Amino acid sequence: MTQSYAEEQPHRQVKDNSSDGQVVLPRKKQGKSKMRTSSEDLIFGQPVIVTMRWILVASGLILVLLNPDDLALMRVQIIVLLILAMANFYLHSQLLMKRPVLDPIVYAASAADLFLVMVLIIVDNGFDSRLYVYFFPAIVSFAVVFPSVWTLTYVASTMALYGFVSLVSGGDPLIILARLLMIAAIGFCGNQYLRIERARREAAIEAQAEMKKYMRKQKATTPTGRPVSQPQ
Amino acid sequence: MTQIRSAAQEAAEDIFFGQAVIIYARWFVIVTGVVVVLWTSKDVAELTLAVLMIVPLIAINFFVHGRYLVERPINRFLLLALSVVDLLIITLIILVWQEPNGFESPYYILYYPIVLAVAFVFSIRISVGYTAFCLLLYSASVIFYDLAFQNTTMLSDPHQIEWLFVRLITLAAVGGLGAFYWRIQRQRRRLASGQREMAPTTP
Repeated sequence: MTQSYAEEQPHRQVKDNSSDGQVVLPRKKQGKSKMRTSSEDLIFGQPVIVTMRWILVASGLILVLLNPDDLALMRVQIIVLLILAMANFYLHSQLLMKRPVLDPIVYAASAADLFLVMVLIIVDNGFDSRLYVYFFPAIVSFAVVFPSVWTLTYVASTMALYGFVSLVSGGDPLIILARLLMIAAIGFCGNQYLRIERARREAAIEAQAEMKKYMRKQKATTPTGRPVSQPQ
Repeated sequence: MTQIRSAAQEAAEDIFFGQAVIIYARWFVIVTGVVVVLWTSKDVAELTLAVLMIVPLIAINFFVHGRYLVERPINRFLLLALSVVDLLIITLIILVWQEPNGFESPYYILYYPIVLAVAFVFSIRISVGYTAFCLLLYSASVIFYDLAFQNTTMLSDPHQIEWLFVRLITLAAVGGLGAFYWRIQRQRRRLASGQREMAPTTP
């Protein structure tokens, strides 16, 4: 899925458009480059988000059916899970058909994940609910995909809302703090990894362009006999 | 295009660049641990025990972070061994640090960032093994604690089984998603550097 789509989305951050083969990024496009990179991150990262949501739905369903407690609570849980499953089916089908989903929809879907987990926690007695662990995979899935500002916004909102709900429901401030720190840790680590990988990829693109430039100077040819500057 | 990096070089680069994530994750665990022990210690003996649990983590991370800053990161075997030590220390905290211990201990959440960070850095085979080890260690420790100190078995309470299942599934999900993303990134990097023949056909 990713592979086939990836091949249709060439990496265009660095363009080889100068006469001497020097790698330059057009000044006009430099501003858009960051945006495009973020959008590419979203495209490539969507399978992670979709997988996370299926894990959420499957484990939630097993949990609800394994040990039903209260009919009213069970109704709410099943409705929430079905909404989640339907939304995820739509996003998954778009991925399978290689139709990238619009960025705002991806952002909204991840916000909805966090919101639904929060609703389940509130319904399940706030601080005493052990469902907060579902925040961890949900945060991983968007922290490795979204730009830093969005990750920061989502993680901070989750921490603020969960902290408030836990305190209001009479939670131990120390345990709440420990949980919030771990939520922050997951978001931070995911985002750091995204940045490290982005830098490595850009370095790889530059190295590739340098190699092409060197080979062109040496008048090298591809195994099919074409000069390296021509597309294969 | 010919390969400009071998798989071994690529794995070494993963360790070189990625270990910053493990370092950050460990700092978060240390900060949380320090806050918890300073806040909850009731006497000198308790605080001493707590400090003895946290200090090895701090020492490990100073060593690893220092090596990373001078661009001489530690090798993958040592990094993996230290990550296993992280799990053992967190398990020790779950078992001996203030009641409630065992299954009721709230400090199992310290596992999550460590498992995620390892999944980002090591190959899928190692990260899956590490995550499975973490799940086994946690399950065994809570069952052992219940049998040894509570004189009950958690297996008799379906609610506890249910919540143990939730914890294990989310822990496995965090490790699995980290490994999945690691694979996607490797594929993107290979495409970017023109190493198409190395890239797998499916994600």
